[in-house]
Amino acid sequence: MTAASAWRRALRRPWVARIAVVVLLLGLWEVAARWWVDPMFLSPPSHVFASLPAVFDTRGVPAALRITFWELAVAFALSVAIGLSIGLAVGLQPFARKSFMPIILLLYGTPQVTILPLFILYFGIGPASKIAFGVSHGFFPIVMTIVAGVQNIKPILLTSARAMGASRWQTLRYVVFPHMIPSFFAGMRLAMTGVLLGVLLAELYVSTAGIGYFTTLFTQNFDPTRLLGLISVLAAMAIVLNEIVRRAEVHFGRWHTD
Amino acid sequence: MSSDKVAIRIRGVSHQFGEEGDARYVRALRDTTLDVARGELLCLIGPSGCGKSTLLNVVGGLMTPTAGSVEVAGKRVAGPMPRDIAFVFQENALFPWNTVFENVNLGMVFQGVPRAEREARAQRSLEAVGLKDFAQHYPGQLSGGMRQRAALARALSLETGILLMDEPFGALDEQTRMILGEDLSVLLARADKTIVFVTHSLGEATFLADRVAVFSARPGTIKEIIKIDEPHPRKPDFVTSAKFTAIRNELYALLHDEIRKTMAESSVGPTP
Amino acid sequence: MRRSGNERRGRLASRAVQATFLIALVALWYLATTRWRVSPLLLPNPVAVLRDFWDILKTGEFLGDLHVTLTELAAAFAIAASCGVVVGYLISRSQYRIRVFEPLFAGIYSVPIILFLPLYVLFFGLGPASKIALGATIGFFPIALNTVAGFGYVDRVLVVAARSMGASDVQLFRYVLLPAALPIILTGMRMGFTVALLSIIGSETIASLAGLGHRIVHLAEGMEMAPMFAYIAFVVAIAAILNVLVSMLEARGRRP
Repeated sequence: MTAASAWRRALRRPWVARIAVVVLLLGLWEVAARWWVDPMFLSPPSHVFASLPAVFDTRGVPAALRITFWELAVAFALSVAIGLSIGLAVGLQPFARKSFMPIILLLYGTPQVTILPLFILYFGIGPASKIAFGVSHGFFPIVMTIVAGVQNIKPILLTSARAMGASRWQTLRYVVFPHMIPSFFAGMRLAMTGVLLGVLLAELYVSTAGIGYFTTLFTQNFDPTRLLGLISVLAAMAIVLNEIVRRAEVHFGRWHTD
Repeated sequence: MSSDKVAIRIRGVSHQFGEEGDARYVRALRDTTLDVARGELLCLIGPSGCGKSTLLNVVGGLMTPTAGSVEVAGKRVAGPMPRDIAFVFQENALFPWNTVFENVNLGMVFQGVPRAEREARAQRSLEAVGLKDFAQHYPGQLSGGMRQRAALARALSLETGILLMDEPFGALDEQTRMILGEDLSVLLARADKTIVFVTHSLGEATFLADRVAVFSARPGTIKEIIKIDEPHPRKPDFVTSAKFTAIRNELYALLHDEIRKTMAESSVGPTP
Repeated sequence: MRRSGNERRGRLASRAVQATFLIALVALWYLATTRWRVSPLLLPNPVAVLRDFWDILKTGEFLGDLHVTLTELAAAFAIAASCGVVVGYLISRSQYRIRVFEPLFAGIYSVPIILFLPLYVLFFGLGPASKIALGATIGFFPIALNTVAGFGYVDRVLVVAARSMGASDVQLFRYVLLPAALPIILTGMRMGFTVALLSIIGSETIASLAGLGHRIVHLAEGMEMAPMFAYIAFVVAIAAILNVLVSMLEARGRRP
């Protein structure tokens, strides 16, 4: 078998083709950065990769990464806690839901990025504002998915429990809560996306010790190599975090057939 | 009949949905009176929307009728009576996040059966319906027929005197229905339960019932009650007998006009 | 079964709660700034905000920034939409290509692309070009993904029926594929528009010399709270209006 046909055989599997596409793009990037684009503006992936250790060696970068990760974790935990409380309070009481959901939806629809400067003014330029902004993006999806999860219960299941003599507490514990769990995990996946967006936006806006400080530094010094390196690390962090919640959702949503 | 022999006393039950003048006003049930004998299997049959499911819900305490009353075990029905009445619904009412065994177990938790008894009862009822080997499966992994067997097992494990079944085999194909019907007959010959069974199928009613109450078109009331004198468990060859055909034909004659009437005025209004 | 009278009463009650909630919020705001002596550097007087809002509208001082933001948005959306639809269509032509590219795009889109803003600023500078580029990048993905979904999952039965009646490739596209895919594509465009708008305001906030986002930052840095609140309200209103318009266009396009 010739190399060409073996190659074509391998390409028939989509994941191989995907990797090939990525490699191709990286190759283009490499070529463009080396020969066409001013090195002040773009750096080839080979350089970026080689200089990753230098990025980590830059004083303050590892600490900044740790701080950012901590901001993400705290913001996510708070989003879940707040989202769960509000979601249950609103979702379990039909009247509360009809009254407050429209308000919540209205708030969710506004472009929060306009009040980013306000968050900084109120919470300062330290981690608190990043966490706060992350929470304000993250708790909405949880509220919405929990309310939806409670609302979506097939009435026959509630009727059936009632017919079998379930008390209100038993209905909550054995019917409503288990039914809500897949929605809750879906909400957490969306919350992670929101938290990532909020925290990173706030970091990029103003930061004295977080990674936002260094992105600004590298940008102003026209250092695309280290900037790309740092961004790659952050992107990797985002992908890993997203993947964790996604897997959790798949695992815990096992019974969800629809 | 003396109170000992009557399991369910239905007196003058009427039910309407909404108020007169509302867009969604429906008179579902009209002045229905009936005694259900202890240990009998009574079928309710009638055209769509004639109120048979409504009557079942009223008997089971899931709905309060706008007029009339129901008495079960000497008490007036005012809400669900989980110790006396168990339901099997047409729609899949098993909790999809629990295994079959957990579903059966949960019914007993709701009813208040002590923990020590639950496992034994669950095993017994699963075995009775033939699902012993599928106890650890999830409802999503089972066929429609098996899911209804599981629902039946859950109802049986509650060991109530009365079983109310609302078109339990309605969503299943004809062949599964046939098998489940035969199995149900065998099962009931052993148990001593009073069963009220709603169905659309003439064949099913004829095969299973001791008595068949035929409903008129909406607003429904009992048009006639047919008695079927054939001991349980009923053999499959009963279906091909002349007696079966005669009864089935009688049911058909009673129902045909009512069905036509219902189809003629079909469209607006929910089917209770 | 609930009677309709009951339903109406229930709805009125919810509305009452909402109204009370909002009124109470405004009342608290007013009290905080007048009675309770909250510093105007923290929370401006609502009357002052209202006055500044009105001033902004009257004098038209918002025009410059609005123009910048809207042109950035228009350019970004134009690029995102055209590239997104073309690329999406090309991918949708084969199942293999869908299987290769769709997860790739979905994966990239799951990363907060705003992260690449510093790169764009480095490359394009602080002017509108970087905002347009970022907005186009972010807006591209929902449009492309929805275009793939729209064209790629057209009911086979319809295609077979058309072919059996002798439809040519062009006819198939015009009378079957396009109408079938259009609703989904329009939804993708609405999503792309919304996301591009958010990213443009965001990038204006973070690194810009002009535009509505920048204006808010400028006022924040000068601690001019009342005008800042007024501009925030203005931007929220503009965003809401644009979103409503786009939703209406989407609904119009979906109607057969």
